[in-house]
Parts: sequence; structure tokens; C-alpha cells
Amino acid sequence: MPVRLHSCSVRLLFWFVLFSLGTVTQPVQAQKIEIDITKPGFQRIPIAIPDFKFQTAEQPQLAREMGELLSSDLDYSGLFLPLDPKGFLEDPQSMGLTAGEIRFPDWKRLGAEFLVRATYQVQGPALRMEARLFDVVGGRMVIGKVYEGETRNWRPMVHRLADEIIMAITGERGVFDTKIAYVQVQGKNKEIFVADFDGSNPVPVTRDQSIALSPAWSSDGAQLAYVSYKEGSAKVYASNLMTGGQRLVAGFPGINIAPAWRPGTNQLAITLSKGGNPDIYLVSASGELMQRLVQSWGINVSPAWSPDGRKLAYVSNEPGNPQIYVMDVSSGQKKRITFSGNYNTSPSWSPKGDWIAFSGMSGGRHNIFITRPEGGEVRQLTRGEGDNESPTWSPDGRMLAFSSTRQGGAALWVMLSNGTGIRRITRGGGQEMPDWSPRMGGR
Amino acid sequence: MRVWFDRSLRLILMVSLTVGLMACSKKKVPPQQGMGPGGFGAGDMGGMGSGGALGADDARWRELGLTTEAERQEFMNLSQRFENEDIYYDFDSYVLTEPAKKILDDKIQFLKRYPKVRVTVEGHCDERGTNEYNLALGERRANSAMQYLANSGMSTQNLNAVSYGEERSLSTGQDEASWARNRRAHFVLNN
Repeated sequence: MPVRLHSCSVRLLFWFVLFSLGTVTQPVQAQKIEIDITKPGFQRIPIAIPDFKFQTAEQPQLAREMGELLSSDLDYSGLFLPLDPKGFLEDPQSMGLTAGEIRFPDWKRLGAEFLVRATYQVQGPALRMEARLFDVVGGRMVIGKVYEGETRNWRPMVHRLADEIIMAITGERGVFDTKIAYVQVQGKNKEIFVADFDGSNPVPVTRDQSIALSPAWSSDGAQLAYVSYKEGSAKVYASNLMTGGQRLVAGFPGINIAPAWRPGTNQLAITLSKGGNPDIYLVSASGELMQRLVQSWGINVSPAWSPDGRKLAYVSNEPGNPQIYVMDVSSGQKKRITFSGNYNTSPSWSPKGDWIAFSGMSGGRHNIFITRPEGGEVRQLTRGEGDNESPTWSPDGRMLAFSSTRQGGAALWVMLSNGTGIRRITRGGGQEMPDWSPRMGGR
Repeated sequence: MRVWFDRSLRLILMVSLTVGLMACSKKKVPPQQGMGPGGFGAGDMGGMGSGGALGADDARWRELGLTTEAERQEFMNLSQRFENEDIYYDFDSYVLTEPAKKILDDKIQFLKRYPKVRVTVEGHCDERGTNEYNLALGERRANSAMQYLANSGMSTQNLNAVSYGEERSLSTGQDEASWARNRRAHFVLNN
């Protein structure tokens, strides 16, 4: 049986040539207000995305597929409301491409605030895509971009365009080039997989036919730490996603679990029981023990770093049952931040540092909550539908991915950070413990 | 349900380097790659590869110091009980209950009688908790059982603990009876 090399299994970067079309105007000032989708009453921005216009006879089906993917991305962001193309008046294959040719009043009447007009050329393996974002109300171009790359990489190219559109409107990139790592149950085994942000293109990272758990991205997105039983007991390994190389990080006596990379460093917080008690230690990526971070008589697991790497949220059962604590690493001072219920676990610190998501059990069911890092302002985001566990933030902080049993077996779901817009992103079931990647390529 | 497998199956299993773990697979534990920590290494199984099941069996009896057929038969019977009687815990607890202590007392008798056995104590949890917390809880469960043995004067030199957290459920039912069955410490003989 042919063995596929890991090095080809996870492709994180696609290379495009990207340049701007004509003079790029500044982002629309009127629209570039702070958009907080967690505020009640936030209205999604209506946007029209006609089919892309094909300029060569090759691959005409991409006209619709690219338009649909862009719509799906912008819908997924929770910021935009893509309008149904059935209501559009013009034939997308004859309609114009530039501001001078666009009939803005027609689009305005349809309720669109923005319009994306794009065209593409396929010449064998080469794809050139040209796209413009128009402010319908102001009747002008907001951004214009040209992408050149390989035809087979049309999906990442469209994701990149979606990112640029989000950037132009909000001043912050989207998350359409990000990935989600997770555990996939395969019979009696569990393997680590990585999929696109929307659950598409799942690719295995481990093929150990063992139990693999707790995938954790390094902050540059180049490495994935995880726990595996492939050597008989729970040890922490790291996989280099570029080379496919895997190496042991922590294999001390006892359990070696729950890795979390300290942001911007090559160090991880890991729960080790080598000292008799499951405490949280700082370990270098090469396996050197640097310091014990959290110590108590109880179980101390599931470390989650603050974005600045100065604080650590974690789970301790010091009060007699598992609760979330936050520790200041330099002073060692720790503070319990959850008080409701007797089973609060899986903390995840938001990328802006303003929230900690966790899963809390009440009435025998797990649900997703968010609270402030100093405690207080607890908001319940899921309720009444199965078990909802392992929340992880998108790198822009607008969304949370989590595992849910609301449709039978565990699958990955995504919601906006106000609990709305819940959607399932993986098929077939058996997916758990998601970890959302940082933005790729340091952009 | 107790799993009773006959001697011939045992002989076949002995050929495999993954004997301990395959025995667990009878109880829904898949075969593992590699060895248990501090458990049986390739060296312990020296000469067993192509030597056939009988040779492997002989080596095992020599190691255990069991010379007569009657002794061996008795060991087989007692070891099945040793491996199949799990001890159970309350939710989110690693405190030994009175019934659990009684079962451990039985295991102490077995270990005293067969001091050369090597044992893995597996700690398990039900799947209602969180995977990572349960890995730590499962280890506490295995350790609590081992500590009880140590407190009774047993040497724990031939014992090692492995936590499987909630990753190796016996019952998949969503009811208290299934969960209770999964919250266990399970003893596996490695020789």
C-alpha cells in the first residue's frame, strides 16, 4: 500500500501574485466604523455577489462556484448578508466590470450596500482573477485586486479575496485562510486532522492508529502539538506541518497532557504528573523543563494563555470540583473566575484578551459560556441542545468553534461570539477538541 | 459481562508482543503501537518470535515459577478473575468505596500468591466529563488503587499506572448504569 508522505498532506500556503487594480481608495470611512457583531441589534451588511464573469471558454462552471464560495465566506463571517442572486437584474456574463459601467441605482434598489464584481481567465493551469468591491451607496470602487496563481488553487484565491473585503470594511483581516485542527474518531482510534476554517478539505496529521488528543497550534501556525498514546501512555508530541516531521516533546513518567503554546515563544504549558500530582509546567519545544507554573494538591489541567502570554487560564479541582482559574505568571497569583455550577472546564482565551470561553456542565449537559478574564459578566451561548464542549476562538475573535452532539454524534460547529449564527462545519460525526489556527503566513 | 477466554486463545495471544493490550481489546481496547511504559519490552519476550506458542508459554511459566500443570491451571483461573474484576468510582471521584476495597483485598491475595506477575493498572472515566480533566482523574483512580495496595504492604515495583481518561469506554449507553461501568480501575497482567 502506498504511504503518502506527511509533508504533502498539509499544505498551508498557496502562492499567488497579488496586485491592486488602479488607484486603491482608502477604506470607506463611513463604513469603517467599529463593527461589533456581539452587540445586540447588529445588522448584517447586505452585499451583492453576481457570478464571476468568464473571459475564456475554459472552466465556465467556476463563474458560479467562485461567486458561491465568496458568498459563503462573507456569510460565514457574520458581517455580511449576501443577497440571493435570483433577484439580480443583469446577466452576470454581459454586465460591466468597472464603476463607470455599474448601474448603482439598480443595486441600491435591490437593497445592496456593497457589490463585488469579478472576472477571471483560465489558461490551462493558470488562473487570473480580477475583482472589485464597490460601495453601492457612494457609487465608487473601494478596492480592486488582481490575483494570479494556479487554477487548482481557485478556492484559496477566493478565500483571499474574502479576506481583503473584510479588511477593507472592518480594518481587520478575515479568517478565510485559517485552519481548524481537531480529533477525528476512527473506529477505536483517534487521529488529529486539520481542515479549512469551514470544515472543508480535512487532512490527517497523525496516522498512528492510536489515541491522539488535544491538538494545539503554535502561534506562527507552523507546528501542532498534541497528545498521543502511540508509545503506550499519554505523551506530548509536536508535528511540523511544513515537513511532516513529528517529535516527542514531553514523555515524563505519568501523564503528559493538554499542551498550549505560549504566544510568540517556542515554549508550551503542559500538564505533567511526574511530580506525583498533575501540575502545569512550562516546557521548551525541545523538551526542556523550564518551570512549574501551577501547583496545588488538586488536578491542574487545560492551560490556555492570554494573548500576551503573561497570564494562564486553567482548570483546577481545588474547590472540590473542576473550576476555571487565572494565574498571573510573573507573580504566581491565582484567582478563581467561575463560581456557577460544579463542572467548568476547557478555557479558551479570546485573541483580543477580553473574554474567556469555557464549557460548563449543568443538569448533566455541557454548554458554552464566555466570561471576563477577571470573572463576571457570564454569558451562556448555547443551551438545550446536546453537549457543547471545547470552545476555541477564531483569530479575529468574532467566532467560536466547538464540538456539539446536537445532531447525534459529536461534530464541529461554529457560531458568532454572541451565540447566533450556529452552523455545522464537519460531516460524518466523530469530531471533537477543535483548535482554531492563527492567521497563516504571519499576515 | 465477564470475558473468559480459553487457554488456547491465551497461548496465541502470548505470541504477540502486544499481549497485554490485545487482552484489553477483548474489552474494547484497540491494539496499541509500542509498549506500555515500564511494562513489557521486547527483551522480556526474547526468543518468542518464531519459537511458537509452546515456547512462549514455557517461558512464561518459568518466569512465574509455576512448574506443575495443576499450578498453572489454578493460576489461569485466578488470573481471569484478577483481570476481570474492575473497581468502580463515583462521578468526578477517585475515592475508594468499600466494595472497591474488598475487590482490591482479593487482588492483594492474588499478588501475594504470584509475586512475579507484572501488572498495569488502568484508570478510566465516563465520557460526561472533559477529556483532559478525565485523563488526570483516570490517573488518580489508578493511583488510588495502587496506593491501597502499597498501604497493605505490597511492593508496587511490578505495577504501573496508565490513565485512559474517557477514551476507552466499555459501555456507550447514555445512562447512569453505563457511565458507572466506565468509571473504573482495570487490572491487566503483562506476563
